[in-house]
Amino acid sequence: MDIAIVGAGLAGRVVALNLLKSGDHTITFFEKDSKEGVTAAGFTAAGMLAPYAELETAESIIFELGHRSIELWPDLLKEIGLFDGYQQKGTVITAHPQDMGELEHFIGMLQRKVDAAGNIELFDKKKITELEPDLYTHQKGFYIPSEGVVDTQRFMAFSVNYFDRQGNVRFREFTPVEKIEAGEVHTKEGIETFDWVFDTRGLGAKEHFNDLRGVRGEVLWVEANDIDITRPTRLMHPRYKLYIVPRGNGCEGIDLEYCADCKLSQTSGYKRYIIGATEIESEDMSPISVRSSMELLSALYTVHPNFGEARVVNSETNCRPAFKDNLPRIEKSEKLTRINGLYRHGYLLAPAIVEKALQEGIYNT
Amino acid sequence: MTRHMERQENIWQIGGKTLHSRMFIGSALYPSPAIMEESIKASGSQVVTVSLRRQGVNKDTGERFWKIIRELGVEVLPNTAGCHSAKEAITIAQMAREVFGTSWIKLEVIGDQYNLQPDPYETVEAAKVLVKEGFEVFPYTTDDLVVAKKLVDAGCNILMPWGSPIGSGKGLMNPYNLKAIREAFPELPLIIDAGIGKPSHAIEAMELGYDGVLLNSAVALAQDPVAMAKAFALSVEAGRLGYEAGAMQEREFASPSTPTVGTPFWHQSK
Repeated sequence: MDIAIVGAGLAGRVVALNLLKSGDHTITFFEKDSKEGVTAAGFTAAGMLAPYAELETAESIIFELGHRSIELWPDLLKEIGLFDGYQQKGTVITAHPQDMGELEHFIGMLQRKVDAAGNIELFDKKKITELEPDLYTHQKGFYIPSEGVVDTQRFMAFSVNYFDRQGNVRFREFTPVEKIEAGEVHTKEGIETFDWVFDTRGLGAKEHFNDLRGVRGEVLWVEANDIDITRPTRLMHPRYKLYIVPRGNGCEGIDLEYCADCKLSQTSGYKRYIIGATEIESEDMSPISVRSSMELLSALYTVHPNFGEARVVNSETNCRPAFKDNLPRIEKSEKLTRINGLYRHGYLLAPAIVEKALQEGIYNT
Repeated sequence: MTRHMERQENIWQIGGKTLHSRMFIGSALYPSPAIMEESIKASGSQVVTVSLRRQGVNKDTGERFWKIIRELGVEVLPNTAGCHSAKEAITIAQMAREVFGTSWIKLEVIGDQYNLQPDPYETVEAAKVLVKEGFEVFPYTTDDLVVAKKLVDAGCNILMPWGSPIGSGKGLMNPYNLKAIREAFPELPLIIDAGIGKPSHAIEAMELGYDGVLLNSAVALAQDPVAMAKAFALSVEAGRLGYEAGAMQEREFASPSTPTVGTPFWHQSK
């Protein structure tokens, strides 16, 4: 089939990877920016696969889809040749002693939503430091062994290289799409027809979904040479929530022009951590604010004093596409499938939601 | 008609509007806008606070989110949350008037970044200017009677003292001070803003004779926000009804003041 995928972000890429495996298709990506995808929310994301921890604010359907995605990610990443871009050795959730109420609230929320959360073990200082010696300032925390993380920036880069190696995938970069209809992609140049169209534009699909909104998120990349945290770690806090996601491989295998500053990790034994993320009801895409930076960085500094000498090598801002219920949506009609609203759960949901969308079929026109 | 029946039709006025609900609710921290919407409906609140400070540089960046609130048909009370000076708060208030088309403003000028305690000096300064500019100012303040008086002198027709710090859920830290404010301003609409954590706190506030309560975290962070919103609606109603009904006197029975009936006088303790 002759297939168009509009929006070469995370969802669009996962659709393409599935289609390439399942049949003989030609795929045309329409992308408003460059194919590298550095403006996609899937590039900004830290990529935590945390179906339990997300339950604090999400519904149990996210939990189920998340577990399915965790099963699907390893093969998708192998397919594109990214062999060290996936880690599943658990996540840590902790808080400062005076904020223990936050941990209680957190686990209470989880246990109310899924029975399995009853098995999450409360770790004391000894057990936490056995896992992560550098988290020694923390007296208590939860460890969730089944959770993991995807190296998002390298996923974006490796998937482009993979598509380029296929003969049947082409990119129409810097081509904004104005409208999508049954089998039709409308651009400035005119209307192009396909056997099937996937609308994975994220916020770009606002013209179609009148209840789609953007939720601003800001992250910082820091690099430190004397801290070794190996698992995604969340700090629960009444005001400044924080996650720290280790990026052991930095930008290995990626050559991004604007990344000139963040080569420390390649040259001098620095380890990269992505810290985030704010959540602001706004579609403002401008760079990270001073206040957000201060909140993230001061929370980070309290996790380990050595973060004081870490280097801030990059900041990213993006807007997560979300519907009113913050749940993902698949909309299928004649010759057209729309996938949107992955919100802050992009990597946690994409493989499972795309699988679901494709199971519903694209051939019964 | 019984007194209770009369109460069913009880309405009250604040800031030039007539309301029947005495609960104000915030729009932050919910798991999703859909749950926020359901919670606000369940609370029966007719006034919803919204924050502008962090939304960004362009007016329309939060448009889709605000639309959800507008469509609830409630009074929007924009707030200046996140401001640290009178000047900043005034700018946000002016922006809010334009975005939401209302002269109502919840004036919140923070003096302590961590516990979010209001700065009385900057709040009074901002109130003076905003009142002159025609705003209906709802000032968020502590339970300090003197600051309350200064705000009234500045032209505020409403006061919103805290129960305890924002988001602490600790309830009414100092009921005595809150009572003093109530007694000092018997005619002024008074709202307890901040610190309410559970329905019993709201009842306590209403039993003090306050005209309403404003809360957000207590509902948004509850395990079931919608059910908690309903619980607060009932407690605000119960507290008000209790206040109007007039509570019985408290009595001290620890040491009897008179002989106990049925006990011979030679057995009575001194």
